[in-house]
Amino acid sequence: MSKRWAKFMAIPVMASMLIAGCTNGDKDSNASATASAGSSAGKPATWVADRKIKGLVFMGTDDYTEDMNPEIKAKIKELTGVDFEIQIMKADHSIDGLIAGLAANDLPDFIAFYLNNSGRPEMPVVLKAAREGMFTDLTPLLKDTKIYSKYEQEGFLPLDTQYGVMFRPEFNGSTYFVHMNVNRQGGYDTRKYVGGPYIRKDIADSLNLDPSTIKTTDQLYELAKKIKDGHFKDTNGKEISPIGPNYWGGQEIGRLFADLEWGDVGQFIKQDKDGKVLHEAETPYAMKKVEYVQKLLKEKLLQPEFFTMDESRSTEGALNGSWGIIADMHNYLEFNQDMHYVPLGPLNAVDGPYQMQVAFKSGYSAWAIPSSTKKPEEVVKFADFLASREGKLLWRYGLEGRDYTLDKDGNPLVKQEVLDLKAKDPNEAKKLGFGGVGNYWGELLGGTDIDYMADFGEMEYGDKLKKDEDQGALKIANYWHWDDKRKAARIVDGYTPNSFLGEFDRGTDLKAAFDNYKDSLVQAYYSKTSEAAQKILDNALKQMKAAGLDDYLKLVADKNNDPKTKVIFDQ
Amino acid sequence: MQQKKTTRSDGRGSALWKSVVQHRYLYYMLLPCIAFFIVFSYIPMGGLLLAFKEYKFNKGILGSPWVGFDYFKTFFSSYQSGQLIKNTLIISAMKLFLYLPFPIILALMFNEVRAKWFKNVSQSVMYLPHFLSWVVVVGLIQRVLAPDTGLLNQLISGMGGDGSTYYMMDPKYFYQIMFGSHLWKSIGWDSIIYMAAISGVNPDMYEAAKIDGAGKLREVWSITLPSIMPTIVILFILSLGNILSAGFDQLYLLRTPGNMQLSDILDTYIIRVGLQSGQYGYATAVGMMQGLIGLVLVVLANRISRKVSDTSLW
Repeated sequence: MSKRWAKFMAIPVMASMLIAGCTNGDKDSNASATASAGSSAGKPATWVADRKIKGLVFMGTDDYTEDMNPEIKAKIKELTGVDFEIQIMKADHSIDGLIAGLAANDLPDFIAFYLNNSGRPEMPVVLKAAREGMFTDLTPLLKDTKIYSKYEQEGFLPLDTQYGVMFRPEFNGSTYFVHMNVNRQGGYDTRKYVGGPYIRKDIADSLNLDPSTIKTTDQLYELAKKIKDGHFKDTNGKEISPIGPNYWGGQEIGRLFADLEWGDVGQFIKQDKDGKVLHEAETPYAMKKVEYVQKLLKEKLLQPEFFTMDESRSTEGALNGSWGIIADMHNYLEFNQDMHYVPLGPLNAVDGPYQMQVAFKSGYSAWAIPSSTKKPEEVVKFADFLASREGKLLWRYGLEGRDYTLDKDGNPLVKQEVLDLKAKDPNEAKKLGFGGVGNYWGELLGGTDIDYMADFGEMEYGDKLKKDEDQGALKIANYWHWDDKRKAARIVDGYTPNSFLGEFDRGTDLKAAFDNYKDSLVQAYYSKTSEAAQKILDNALKQMKAAGLDDYLKLVADKNNDPKTKVIFDQ
Repeated sequence: MQQKKTTRSDGRGSALWKSVVQHRYLYYMLLPCIAFFIVFSYIPMGGLLLAFKEYKFNKGILGSPWVGFDYFKTFFSSYQSGQLIKNTLIISAMKLFLYLPFPIILALMFNEVRAKWFKNVSQSVMYLPHFLSWVVVVGLIQRVLAPDTGLLNQLISGMGGDGSTYYMMDPKYFYQIMFGSHLWKSIGWDSIIYMAAISGVNPDMYEAAKIDGAGKLREVWSITLPSIMPTIVILFILSLGNILSAGFDQLYLLRTPGNMQLSDILDTYIIRVGLQSGQYGYATAVGMMQGLIGLVLVVLANRISRKVSDTSLW
């Protein structure tokens, strides 16, 4: 009898195990967000509440890890009462994760996602969610904070953050996302970046070339020809490609062909001399660029996979010196701290000589609180703690005594052993669990109101102890006359031309047509004749026109005339 | 008459029930499988409602407002729809019709190999590509076909040719690359089922044919092929259901700006528009259309097959 029952039971048990194994057992989040118990009497001034705050992060996993260092976690708990936890949503593209996460409608206490500006593809997605009431209105909550209340002060936020991301006119004063990484001072530089094309120094030397004299694409062409005729070799003894792709993988490179590039790459929209806003396809530059690239490809001056090469191969080529010119890289890359590649140009822009452009301030990444979160004011208060100097000290420098000591001004002095560990075993160092060693969990809610020089007496973690590490980068900056260019720089504030696609009625179609134009350009580069190329470009323009390009350009021009929605046409 | 019919159907019902009870343990064993299909295939079908609704994050699938056939209208009025359908049909037709004889021929060839060790080795070699993901296969193709540095171009330049052709960027070579890689990856695995069918053919028939003086080719043509015809027909009918899904992962990876006019198919469009731009309803509508057309084709093919031959799915 018992055997028979066992047989009866076995099948349903198997079935239920199968089903149970495929369901999500994670049922915490909001249920765990129990409200603080009792008063905060006798607690530190930084006290928030005795509760759990869990965040879901829709960003890449390089800069954050889900594993918090236990000592750091305990310190957070001691200072604020909060049991902090983050979960990273892994996806091929972070936006796919975001869309799936929102659609699942099962969000924890806060979410964090990429958002460089309101033109990012994430914007329409989070906007839709905000319009449909998925997020908490943060305006009243930000008012009572120390740091975030600055966001409501006139002139603190850059234009795009203020009117494009946060306090959008359609929300009548409400805001549903907090844009992060806003500097305390306008035009504040955290690093002396020199981005753009670089040339191998030994090649420039043997050609007797001063790389800063290359100002136009014609000069670039002549230079590439000389490199080809010089038959230079890479570290494997193979002949190099005169012009190689971007260090991070093949793509369209604006800075290399700057005097043929209409507006920023990816946007291709710019105002002409008469103030008319045009798309690149409507100007002669599109075809000029195509003919130029075709010429380079035909004469084997440009690596044939320049626009499509995957990252690993193009980085490998850069490391092996297989590219005479690297189309785009910057001076902080580890492999070039000995300056064996030096900056080329900068090339002139399409409408005049090069001028450095500095953003007044710019945002990067954002967070929001789902409307299902209980006591959202506690999450905001916790974020405010992380954005304060004390919070930043914790998530940027770790624990006093373990990771740093304080100098006479009260600024952190990083322990040499931590720096040594970071240099020797970055992954082990990352386990210490703070920004300086590569785990930037605190940046999600606390990385804003940034002025590290004023707060900690150094721009970057451990600068005071660094002697040689960044010298290569700074030497390159000096070589490029960064300071002079910075003095002559234009400080700009505004929107990108694509920022308004979300409010344009045929936005989706036009976005598809814009993407198609980008692909069509590459297709045209590889077409056999200029007639075929012209046909490809004409078709792409026709599609954009059909999707409402003319009306959109008019909208961009109108926006640009409004001081609240100024557009930055060059990047 | 009426009375008789009822009795008969009752009788049939009770016989069925008796047989179920008799074989109850087998049916219990079937339960997990049924549960699997209910949970992962039938319940998700409820999501098809989205094709007629404007999805709101806060209202879920059932609560979102109805939009009728709006998404279908939008798709068919979009300038891309014609091109997308055409590309999908061409690619899947190549994979359906053109590809069909290859695994059969391979199975017939394997069947004729006498040296056992050679048969085993060559079968394993043919099956292996099936276990590679498309990411690896396309990566391999990219390296072999790379301009200047790729194996093929090196060979061509070694023999005095140009050696700089960028095959992946040239639409002229797209179909060859697509079909060739599909064939390489799938032929071995797909031949297994035909091999199994061939091994089920009665050996007496071959013996009889030999006595009648039939050669090898005649045996293949007159015995093997007709014997495995039901398998071929059923597999063909089943694969018709996928006529509008031409193989997402392969095409997504093979797509370059150069060949996009040929390689953009409904599946890649659904990912791009539906998921990456968050238009769930629209993507569901296009996906549903794919499924429906597949269903209609399977039913039609099955009916035709039943009429002209004895083979059919049901």
